[in-house]
Amino acid sequence: MARPCAVVGIGQTLYRRRRGDVSLDGLVREAALAALTDAELTFADVDAVVIGKAPDALEGVIMPELSLCDALGAVGKPIHRVHTAGSVGASTAISAAVLVESGRYDTVLTVAYEKQSEGNATWALSGGRSGGQAAGGTFAPWIREYIRRSGAPEHIGWLVAVKDRLNAVKNPYSHLRIPDITVEKVRESPMLWDPIHFLESCPSSDGAAAMVLAGGERARRSARPAWVLGHAKRTEITTFPGRDTVRPRAGVECAAALYASVGITDPRRQIDAAELYVPFSWYEPMWLEGHLIAEEGEGWKMTDSGATALDGDFPVNCSGGVLSSNPIGASGMIRCLEAANQVRGTAGDYQVDGARVALAHAYGGAAQYFAMWIVGSSLDVLA
Amino acid sequence: MTAVHDVDFTLEYPYTRSTGPIVGPWLTGLRDGRILGLRVGGRVVCPPVEYDPDTGVSTSPDDLTEVGPAGTVTAWTWVCAPTSKHPFAQPFAFAQIRLDGADTAMLHAVDAGDMAAMSTGMRVVARFRPERRGAVTDVYFVPGDEPPPPVEADPDAGSVETTEHLIGVRIREPLFPFRARFARGLLEGRILGQRSPADGKVHVPSRGYDALNRVAMGPEHDVEVADVGTVTSFTEIAPIQYHGQTETEPWIRCSVLLDSADTTVGGIDVRHIGVEEFRVGMRLRMVWKPEGERDVSAIENRWGGITGGVYERWEPTGEPDVDPELLKDHPF
Repeated sequence: MARPCAVVGIGQTLYRRRRGDVSLDGLVREAALAALTDAELTFADVDAVVIGKAPDALEGVIMPELSLCDALGAVGKPIHRVHTAGSVGASTAISAAVLVESGRYDTVLTVAYEKQSEGNATWALSGGRSGGQAAGGTFAPWIREYIRRSGAPEHIGWLVAVKDRLNAVKNPYSHLRIPDITVEKVRESPMLWDPIHFLESCPSSDGAAAMVLAGGERARRSARPAWVLGHAKRTEITTFPGRDTVRPRAGVECAAALYASVGITDPRRQIDAAELYVPFSWYEPMWLEGHLIAEEGEGWKMTDSGATALDGDFPVNCSGGVLSSNPIGASGMIRCLEAANQVRGTAGDYQVDGARVALAHAYGGAAQYFAMWIVGSSLDVLA
Repeated sequence: MTAVHDVDFTLEYPYTRSTGPIVGPWLTGLRDGRILGLRVGGRVVCPPVEYDPDTGVSTSPDDLTEVGPAGTVTAWTWVCAPTSKHPFAQPFAFAQIRLDGADTAMLHAVDAGDMAAMSTGMRVVARFRPERRGAVTDVYFVPGDEPPPPVEADPDAGSVETTEHLIGVRIREPLFPFRARFARGLLEGRILGQRSPADGKVHVPSRGYDALNRVAMGPEHDVEVADVGTVTSFTEIAPIQYHGQTETEPWIRCSVLLDSADTTVGGIDVRHIGVEEFRVGMRLRMVWKPEGERDVSAIENRWGGITGGVYERWEPTGEPDVDPELLKDHPF
């Protein structure tokens, strides 16, 4: 039986199109030092470091875990690097949690980042070749297929875009702040990849996020722990005969394994807040279904009814989500961190009243890597 | 290139970096003819960093201090055959140099002329290049102690806040055997797939193995598939301009399930059919380029399928559409 692990500190940078005021080292340290400060610890208290980022081509720094070792106070300590494309931030958090749960380390610092302004994500995702279709070009046909299967009306995507951007206004770290956004503005914004409009797409951000995870006495003594109740990762290969990219089996199985591991039988009722990886608006209903929160074909009705709003019965992306801040490699860790924020009661203006159980999720690649965790305000909150 | 060839691809991008509060002043110093170290933890480190390298504690630009210009070599290696990415065209040494006033050594280049001139413990001294832009290559070292001629700094040049780096890697490798047969097939006007011995499914293009069933596929599993199929997925792409992008006008990229295949062929570019009439379920036929004009140079081991180098266009066959519901297993 694994021993309990808690999030005892969280730290974020401001997310911006370009953080020209800091170096890559400085960006990563800003989040790490904020998390350590929040945990009332220093680098000296850390036993191991786990970092994650999207592929190296985004900044052109090869194996940054080597050059960032000193910057993260990891001299003489183990430092690990996790690679799972866009889901990496959540995979990294889970890898760090496993190091604590196993009993090997008491205190682990985990950091994820992207400094998108130093390179070009579309170039990188195109393998450095001409003719790149960008992430939106990959996901758009799958979104259209979701719409065809579910019969969802076209305004669902617009609603998600408005909801997440209005939530983002309440988050001091957000990159995009569009307080006057409306369904009409989303609908009238340029069409990038049918049916995805400009305002239904994530931005390109610089930023880093960090957490301090602890077990044993340090976790028990923490003033504001978020207990890691369970986690799961699943992967499937990019292409194979019969692969369902709209409802990937790896995503379904990841969610099923996660809920089973913590005794959740009715996710919609038992989870108080969720941070889902939604880089394009339609992925909110797609993941509500693809991760077993809604029945197949019913996810869009949750969005449409307002259930996923901050004051709904299943609030999704109260922080503003990936649609509002997207430092790719960090985006999954931000989901994990914001879930912790909710159950610690420290989410400020976007706090869900009384949140005790929160879900975080990230996906990556061609919707093929999945990483999810559930945090709680106490270890027995689901008992 | 109208023959099957080895892969030869250069992955390259001009990255822009922000320098931050310590490296920025250091690069500015180099541009202005000064080498800065940083007082931290009771010693002086050079090059300076934003944190104590031992403890991670933050440092301050107030603790920057000039070091050098001469120093002592603590270790070195000779580069006999410099490449275009090296700081010199002629053979030179990379050396760890502990500059006078610093307690740590910095990796840099010594233009020593001959390997026999190099030794651990030797003295070297900085030389600033006439054209400087705030980069580590603004300076190099030569044997001896003679101070460099004074450098005239431009008082209006400002501080160095960003740097640019054209970073690239050239990849050369033979095509995997199946990929070579696939490319040769296209030159001959045939589309080759492979039928998995595990479940009979036909993969196009194949990886040379069935990843689901974990079985290898060899030449005996090669099968020819039709150049006619059904659109399973498409996107209209408005090209984003980036380094190396040659597309300027919107076009349709689609996936096609070729008749008798079980995987879709992605990345098929359609430029002769309007997006308003394009749809999932549409039947298309590939119109080949004449033999002798087909180019498979875009086919690599992990990149490129039925490349635009082998077809003139894809055109509707005029057959009735396939019901999209029947294509549910192929949304890729």
